[in-house]
Amino acid sequence: MIDAVQLAQNLVNGFGLGLIYGLIGIGFCVIYNASGIVNFAQGVFVMLGGMVCHTLLSRLGLPISAAAVLTIPVVAVIGILMEILIVRPMWNRGASTFAIILATLATQMLIEQITLLTLGDQPRTYDSFTAGGPLKLGGVAISYQLFWVLGFGTLMVAGLWLFFTRSRMGRALRACSQNAEAAALLGIPVKRMLLASFALSAALGAIAGILVTPSQITAYNVGTPYGVNGFIAAIIGGFGSASGAVAGGLLLGILQAFAIVAFGAGFKNVAALTVLLIVLLVFPNGIFAGVKSLWARRT
Amino acid sequence: MASAPPLLELRDLSASYGHVQALKPTSLTVAEGELVTILGPNGAGKSTLLRAVTRLTPGTGQILFQGRDVSRLATHRLSELGIIMVQEGRGLFSQMTVRENLILGGYNAGGDRVLLEARLQQVFDLFPRLKERVDQLSSSMSGGEQQMLAIGRALMAGPKLLMLDEPSLGLAPRVAAEIIATLGELNCSGLGILLVEQKAPLALRLAKRVYVLSLGRVAVELPANEIGSHHDLARYYLH
Repeated sequence: MIDAVQLAQNLVNGFGLGLIYGLIGIGFCVIYNASGIVNFAQGVFVMLGGMVCHTLLSRLGLPISAAAVLTIPVVAVIGILMEILIVRPMWNRGASTFAIILATLATQMLIEQITLLTLGDQPRTYDSFTAGGPLKLGGVAISYQLFWVLGFGTLMVAGLWLFFTRSRMGRALRACSQNAEAAALLGIPVKRMLLASFALSAALGAIAGILVTPSQITAYNVGTPYGVNGFIAAIIGGFGSASGAVAGGLLLGILQAFAIVAFGAGFKNVAALTVLLIVLLVFPNGIFAGVKSLWARRT
Repeated sequence: MASAPPLLELRDLSASYGHVQALKPTSLTVAEGELVTILGPNGAGKSTLLRAVTRLTPGTGQILFQGRDVSRLATHRLSELGIIMVQEGRGLFSQMTVRENLILGGYNAGGDRVLLEARLQQVFDLFPRLKERVDQLSSSMSGGEQQMLAIGRALMAGPKLLMLDEPSLGLAPRVAAEIIATLGELNCSGLGILLVEQKAPLALRLAKRVYVLSLGRVAVELPANEIGSHHDLARYYLH
């Protein structure tokens, strides 16, 4: 028999984790929207966000606000280096998108090993941004960190939507993904846009990592599960849509939480992959595009 | 007094795809305010020539724009100078609206909203149908409307030289005639145009000079009004 309080607690936890998956999914969308490339190293930006922030807190004794603000550009620079050293040379030589995607996967493994060698294999975490808590509602405990995740998640989705639809640079990034040659012919510096997309995507991953580390541990190897779940979130929401990625992440996080309560923790990933398979079978372009097209057919 | 340099001058421009030389050393000029047409059958190197000028396909040889050597500039820098190309197949951003496509056309204007609005108004005056469909996705428009959008978007960039690769391809004769007539209007207002067409009696009426490409090189260069006196060319291109 499912315990109602335990279920509610898991759903709250799943909601928080789902938001993080959504934020990681947005990172996938940013690079995909600018280049058509799926960056499988997105998860390491999340890992680096937590690891760099932890290092700044523990080794330099910085307050969390300063450590977080410093971590974001550090990880963004790593994203820029990845674009310059790995992606751009392949792009310039006319490598296929498939080959570049495989290279991003290799880069993920490389960065993980470098992190292991430099920072060690010990899992680590740090305190929530706001001391105290959790907030008790009935028997359900809601950590203050969840509110930080919720607040930043909302801000980032709104900010990115405005960026991609209203700003000159955001539109140019979308133009590059739809037709890079046409974009260049109109004066858009396509290579610079690709670089910007990696910086932005890495920064978004770092923010997700900084936010999630107080409630989940971080370690050199957490990038892969975060990356996989973020990727699934982006696919469920319809690859390329920031709000779709967040909605996909929430759906995934909540379903995983339900699967843990109903079938045990071992079924968490089974639930994620089952959801992915069902969505891909029924709605190949993502759940929201699918529902929209069904709605259009009915009206 | 020295005469002004041509708007565009190509000196022995050639381009290859791998080991295949699609464009053999080719020289041509377009004067300020002139409309020049390039004709030729499929595979003659017409599209490659435009791609080589815009550096979408790397080439060798010299490209002079208003007397300045621009052979080494990247595609987006050429656009900043005023060399704008409308690709074969239109090259629209299919998941964006008409307005978004047009605004991206004015990317070089920076954040100058006044300039963008003025150019937008000019495009709507030229193609009123685009104004009616301003919030529609470009992919949902007819072929003729998409071609109008492609030309309108190019005009948003403030071109000095407009290059078009087969703008009438796939269009109904009436719509193609409408598009070509608009190009004529633009040329009358002083815009230099380099127009690539496969068979284009309408384009020949507007053009001052014609280059006929064959097997990757210029086979004939002549004033457009003389093409009728060349029996073979007239049979192929005017009928």
